Amino acid sequence: MSRVHKIFRKFYKIGLVLFLAIFLLFIFDEIQNLDIKRYLSEHYISEGVQETGAINLVTSVLYDYRGFDTLGEATVILTAAATLSFMTPIKKVKMLGTEFTIIIYQTIIIIIPFLVVLGMNLIFFGHISPGGGFVGGVILAMIPILVTINYGITFSENKLKPNHKSLLEGIGAIGFILLGLLGIFAGSNFLASGQANFGLGNPGELISAGLIPYLNLMIGIKVGAGLAAIFNSLIKEG
Amino acid sequence: MESAVWIILLPLLTAFFLGIFKLYSDKLFYSLVIVSMVIYLYLLILVINDSYPPKVYSIGNWGLLGINLMVDSFSAMFLLIIAILFITVIIFSLNYIKVNKHKFIILTYVMIAGIAGMVLTADLFNLYVFLEVSSMSSYALTAIKKTDKSIESSFKYLIMSTFGSFFILLATILTYYLTGTLNMAEISLEFKSVPFMIKSTIMFFFIFGYGIKIGLVPLHAWMPDSYEASPIPYNVLSSGLVMKSAIYALIRLLYVIFGVEFLTESGILNIGVFWGVLTFIIAHTLAYQQSNLNRLLGYSSIAQIGYITIGLFLGNEKGLIGGSFHILNHGIMKGTLFLVLGIFYYSLKADEIEDIQGLGYKFPVLSFTFVVAALAIVGLPPFNGFISKWLIIEAAIEAGFFYAAFFILVGTFLSLTYYLKVIIKLYTKTEKKTLIEKPDLSLKLPTFFLGSLCILFGIVPSLPLSLINNIPKFLLNNSEYIRILLGG
Repeated sequence: MSRVHKIFRKFYKIGLVLFLAIFLLFIFDEIQNLDIKRYLSEHYISEGVQETGAINLVTSVLYDYRGFDTLGEATVILTAAATLSFMTPIKKVKMLGTEFTIIIYQTIIIIIPFLVVLGMNLIFFGHISPGGGFVGGVILAMIPILVTINYGITFSENKLKPNHKSLLEGIGAIGFILLGLLGIFAGSNFLASGQANFGLGNPGELISAGLIPYLNLMIGIKVGAGLAAIFNSLIKEG
Repeated sequence: MESAVWIILLPLLTAFFLGIFKLYSDKLFYSLVIVSMVIYLYLLILVINDSYPPKVYSIGNWGLLGINLMVDSFSAMFLLIIAILFITVIIFSLNYIKVNKHKFIILTYVMIAGIAGMVLTADLFNLYVFLEVSSMSSYALTAIKKTDKSIESSFKYLIMSTFGSFFILLATILTYYLTGTLNMAEISLEFKSVPFMIKSTIMFFFIFGYGIKIGLVPLHAWMPDSYEASPIPYNVLSSGLVMKSAIYALIRLLYVIFGVEFLTESGILNIGVFWGVLTFIIAHTLAYQQSNLNRLLGYSSIAQIGYITIGLFLGNEKGLIGGSFHILNHGIMKGTLFLVLGIFYYSLKADEIEDIQGLGYKFPVLSFTFVVAALAIVGLPPFNGFISKWLIIEAAIEAGFFYAAFFILVGTFLSLTYYLKVIIKLYTKTEKKTLIEKPDLSLKLPTFFLGSLCILFGIVPSLPLSLINNIPKFLLNNSEYIRILLGG
């Protein structure tokens, strides 16, 4: 009886998934055939460079047209770090001790400067080439993560203390909001850059696009510090 | 309308500054908490006062290209709930919380920012982002005690709630794909030409996703567990604001984007009313079986959400007024009950029904407050719960849902049974000698404040109703809302 029951449950799950999949297939198929207006994305593509000064369209949407969403997303990362640090139980499990060869230890030291350069490049050139604060922050967060994996959590936390990470995270977030407030002080609305007559410069130059490069920097700091904190709080208890 | 954006920014900014201050100085930390709370109260009053006629604030001055915030009467009523509950909870928890106190306060500020964002935004994706902010901080606040039980319940909450978020995000993406815009007013206009089938599917995704966050039966399983394991001040905010903000978002989407004609045509209003009846009948019977007071109040919250759902899904003016008023009232009543329970727990670690035996004689005034709030939530006159329930029943009869009106009366008797059980236990004499830690004034004052509001709003319901009466104007007739949002 229990075997029949088991088989039934398995087929029931598969059937449910299949049913939903076929249903969605029909819906998407119907959507494909509709005639859809795209005036918003067309406006971003055709006017984005003039209006925001950023050549990278993703950046112009992320940090100018919809900068407020970015602030919310950055806050989600901060709260996710807090959630993780609470949800990892206090019980200590012995971590798998991995000993690497000397080659790896030495290579890490060589790699780290390159990672710094790459991350910084992605952040600072976020508005004129592919990249941006989120990506750059992830690359920068890889440095403490690599150090943690190779030299252990104690060494890594000694080099970059958890307090400093949360300080950096706070500075990034506060900086983002303060930069946004500049728009209000300039007589326009929150997070206005081109609209508040901050010089957009010549699109393509490093100092251009109004507030976008600075917002990029703040998000980079915040994401980098946040991800490093998340990784450490996961591995500490693991 | 500069102050509207500050409603979201101030708690966020405060939370980030608190995150830095907690590393260095306790004194700075607590003074910032107090100062920012007072300023926030002032800002909220300013925005609530200025909410009629609705105002639009365009972030980045992009107009329809970017994100818009909009304050109308529905959101103003939520700001009123934030003003009432947030202040009391922060004052209460300054003394109450012992474990991870700094983080509790920081996360509460982040959560308030998320809820304020959900309430104010008029942009579909922005709504999703702030929904995530508020639910993320809710997971953290549920797990904040770091006991095995709290981690388990928080994990359960996280899994179920993420499942809901997934459906909401899917519906958001589909909506953007279909209409090419995220502004609610423009979506509503574009939706007129979308086929019925696709629109219904998107609506189903929205309802299912938000149904989990609201806690409608049978999607409620995470809620009682999370109430049992989390700190009690958080429960006040959870039942008063987190669940309610989800139902706010759902109602806003249904009435503004889909429009009341489509809701009637697709029959979702009937389903919603039936779902509400089902929810409160099941939740009341489950609440009757609980021995833990936190769980009992949690099931009672689910049941009250059922009443609210009925009111808001009736699709007539009275129903919207009654449902919205019940949102406000339930926040206050449940807040009072939880805060009294919090003081019992603080003084003698009592959260089982067995433990509170005889406390009516040790804490006479507090127990009286508990009785007042319990009778209000049951729906007896002259308290505030009676008036909103009465409005919902009247609206149900007006809309032709006689069975809903009948079952609300049945539900009232069901809830009376289990609240009477608690009240009788409270006033049963016992020989047991227990050691009691005296609660000080900072715990009692917020509790009495909320309790007195139960009586005040019951005797003078015109105070909040003057705000709430404007709500149906912009929900039932969404063209008004659209005109203001498009007109800037």
